[in-house]
Amino acid sequence: MWKDYSSGYLKNNRASGISVMAAALISSLLLSLLSGLFYNLWIYEVERIKMEEGGWQAQICGEIGTEELAAMQSHANVEKAVVREDLSDDAEKVVDIYLYDKRSVFEDLPEIAGMAHLPAEAVTYHYELLNLYLIRDADDAALRWVFPFALAVTAVACLSLVMIIHNAFAVTMNARIHQFGIFASIGATPRQIRTCLLQEAFALCGIPIVVGNLSGILLATGIVEGTNVMLADVEGRLSVPFSYHPLIFLLSLLAAALTIWLSAWIPAGKLSRMTPLEAIRNSGEFSLKKKKNSRVLSCLFGIEGELAGNALKAQKKALRTANLSLVLSFLAFSFMMCFLTITIVSQEETYFAKYQDAWDVMATVRGAEIDAFDRTDALRGLDGVQSCVVYQKAAAKRLVMPDEISGEMKAAGGFDLAPAEYVSAVSGGWMVNAPVVILDDAGFLEYCGQIGVMPQLSGAVILNRTRDAADPNFRERRELSYLKETGETTILWNVGGEDAAVEIPVTAYTAQPPVLREEYGTLDFYELVHFIPLSLWKEIKGQTGNAEEELYIRILAEDRTSLHELDEIEESVSELLNGTYDMEIENRIQDKLNNDRMFAGMKAILGVFCLLLAVIGFGNIFSNTLGFVRQRKREFARLLSIGLTPAGMKKIFCIEALVIAGRPALIALPITGAAVVFFLKISYLEPEVFLREAPILPILAFLLAIFGFVALAYYLGAKKVMESSLIDSLRDDTLI
Amino acid sequence: MEILKCEGVTKVYESGGGQVIALDHIDLAVEKGEFTAIVGASGSGKSTLLHILGGVDKPTEGKVIVEETDISTLNPTQAAIFRRRKVGLVYQFYNLIPTLTIRKNILMPLLLDKKKPNREYFEQVVQTLGIADKLERLPGQLSGGQQQRAAIARSLIYRPALLLADEPTGNLDQKNSGEIMDMLKLSNRNLKQTIVLITHDEKAALQADRIITIGDGRIVGDEKRR
Repeated sequence: MWKDYSSGYLKNNRASGISVMAAALISSLLLSLLSGLFYNLWIYEVERIKMEEGGWQAQICGEIGTEELAAMQSHANVEKAVVREDLSDDAEKVVDIYLYDKRSVFEDLPEIAGMAHLPAEAVTYHYELLNLYLIRDADDAALRWVFPFALAVTAVACLSLVMIIHNAFAVTMNARIHQFGIFASIGATPRQIRTCLLQEAFALCGIPIVVGNLSGILLATGIVEGTNVMLADVEGRLSVPFSYHPLIFLLSLLAAALTIWLSAWIPAGKLSRMTPLEAIRNSGEFSLKKKKNSRVLSCLFGIEGELAGNALKAQKKALRTANLSLVLSFLAFSFMMCFLTITIVSQEETYFAKYQDAWDVMATVRGAEIDAFDRTDALRGLDGVQSCVVYQKAAAKRLVMPDEISGEMKAAGGFDLAPAEYVSAVSGGWMVNAPVVILDDAGFLEYCGQIGVMPQLSGAVILNRTRDAADPNFRERRELSYLKETGETTILWNVGGEDAAVEIPVTAYTAQPPVLREEYGTLDFYELVHFIPLSLWKEIKGQTGNAEEELYIRILAEDRTSLHELDEIEESVSELLNGTYDMEIENRIQDKLNNDRMFAGMKAILGVFCLLLAVIGFGNIFSNTLGFVRQRKREFARLLSIGLTPAGMKKIFCIEALVIAGRPALIALPITGAAVVFFLKISYLEPEVFLREAPILPILAFLLAIFGFVALAYYLGAKKVMESSLIDSLRDDTLI
Repeated sequence: MEILKCEGVTKVYESGGGQVIALDHIDLAVEKGEFTAIVGASGSGKSTLLHILGGVDKPTEGKVIVEETDISTLNPTQAAIFRRRKVGLVYQFYNLIPTLTIRKNILMPLLLDKKKPNREYFEQVVQTLGIADKLERLPGQLSGGQQQRAAIARSLIYRPALLLADEPTGNLDQKNSGEIMDMLKLSNRNLKQTIVLITHDEKAALQADRIITIGDGRIVGDEKRR
């Protein structure tokens, strides 16, 4: 049958063949691209966590000697147990446990701890990493929904792509039941017909699926490597080379092949349940099983509207792929564009615009102590530097007594809403966090000038403000004064050793922080920030301590608008510090450019994905409209024979095209609109700010592309129908 | 009074490099209210003649005048409006719109003209044809005989000058065939409807007032029976 019939049929019906091949190619390409990108995203997350936190599945903390360590290592599932010197002290040791079989982590670890004579409570699990392997503990209260959600979305997207391949093929096959009925009537067995359908399916889709899968891998490689190159200088980003698992290729190939096999098998099964006569009578013509009304179209366009509406309902199955992919692609595109715009606008407000005047070049020096740092003057003397502050942060606590609290804060409820993790009630008062920001002396004196107090290096400036915890608007949360501003001294307590404390003079209370790229009171509204000069820190360091590992250098340039100028300063700072210090350096304009590039890249990748999804829809529309002649010529011949004019016929086609192209807008725009309103509400962004940046043009362009392609497909299909012979169409060819 | 007049109607098809003469200088006149049957062997040209009379095809040569209008000169839009208003076509395979209810199918010629149906006349037609209780069904939900009655109702709804029926009983069993012929006769007698019936069923042809026989594209017999 293949030699005598199928190969000839495929040659003579290239339009429907090409549409099936295109659907198979694009779907398998997207399937492979999507799974490849998801796999790489997963690899990236795993690598990131391993680099930042380590690749251990659990940690055991306690009194662990050589004997206990050996006992742990002797467990059958333990690959290795490594002592973490950086986290261990003489009394207690922290051991990272790496398992052969991660899945049994929650069963094995209490057992392993027991072997080292330690309770199950001594075990800390690496939930974030385990979550990436979909290993969850019922006791883990954190939601950790991002990865499973992304996995579910990817799975649904893959399923939709599989459905698209199935639908494209099934529509073509169903349309040919009539022809196979003729074969059955002249003696072809169901097995022969089934074999013929499968041969056709694989002849059409075999190569496109393999090519699509390979192209998807290539595209994914390009995207991952391109992203690595584009974002190479983005601080904190890992450069993980493209990786691919052969199992993904096999699975996506298998999914596509299985889909095609099923798509050919289903019509074959349908055929075997029909008598040859029933199959012959199946003209492939669109019809309805139940009465339908197209009230809106009828109301808008008259009887032609009703005819178009009913015809669309009758073609519902044939157009399912088109409708699904066009609606999904437009929804995804408009949603993505709006969401990214809100993110960009929000980031602009909360970061770039907010810190526009706070820094130009910023260096983070690791493992340096501010009192030992000797390059401050040299940094200040660099060409193009207008201002430079070197600072370090240290943790401390402060006891706030009820009589110290300002009236404003008391009226707002005092510490009533304060969470226990930040504030604890102690001896009639409240122990709060008092982060200490140590500024180099010149920087501190400059700060004194900024807030208008007598410049001196003997005391602390207290940032005397807190936020109203009852005000949910994080963007412009109401600020309150914290203390009464009467105390002349302040006592800083050592974190972790609360009996050690130091009393220092207060130079001033202020609501204005120094010009630094820092945020205060974002999570802990009740922290009482102390700015102190380096000279004072040197005096009290022995009592409070707890300085952070990083030291920061904030530079403002003379020419703040030139990337070249900032690059030069960045280079000079690097030259001055490199070799002696381990540091990272960034500049504001480059940071903004990197950020813009990252968003542009994201938009491009997601945009291409949406476009490819839409291409499947266009393919389906074209295959449907080019198949019109066979399926719809009788429908239109009937209408013409009872008096429908050619203009009326054109009107019906136009209405159908309008509905198909308009549906994505009708469905996607309200959903996107509602989502935008929701996001604006939760991010406290003013609608006007969003509207100024709203991605109206790209969304409109995408919509116009949908209208354009659908119109073109209908134009070509309609032209063919209108050129076909009315008389031939009126004959029932199924019984000739 | 002549309602239909054909003068020298010729139809030639191009086929595989040669020409096939489907109709060869047909001259024919049909009086108002006449029930005419056109009979002939398969391939004699009777269906071609019916399509030309119904305005769905054009003659290569000659004139077709229906109620003083030469339909062979109409453009596609004029031809469509002519079919809608002046002709009712009934086919062997019903040709109902599968996506519309029977009611909508019947009213379609009026709806295309944006005209409101005469409720009394509509009721009379559907009652006479025995499909009053099937109006909200889709064509696919009716038997062949019922679909053909709906097709006849559609062809009558505009009170056309001419009802053209192409083998209307060809796809029906004997009982249904008899009933459909009775319906046609009834509409001819009660509504004074002019009917041209194409058939190769001798029994059906004998019920007409006049039988025209066609052979090789020419009229070879014209017998007035009443």
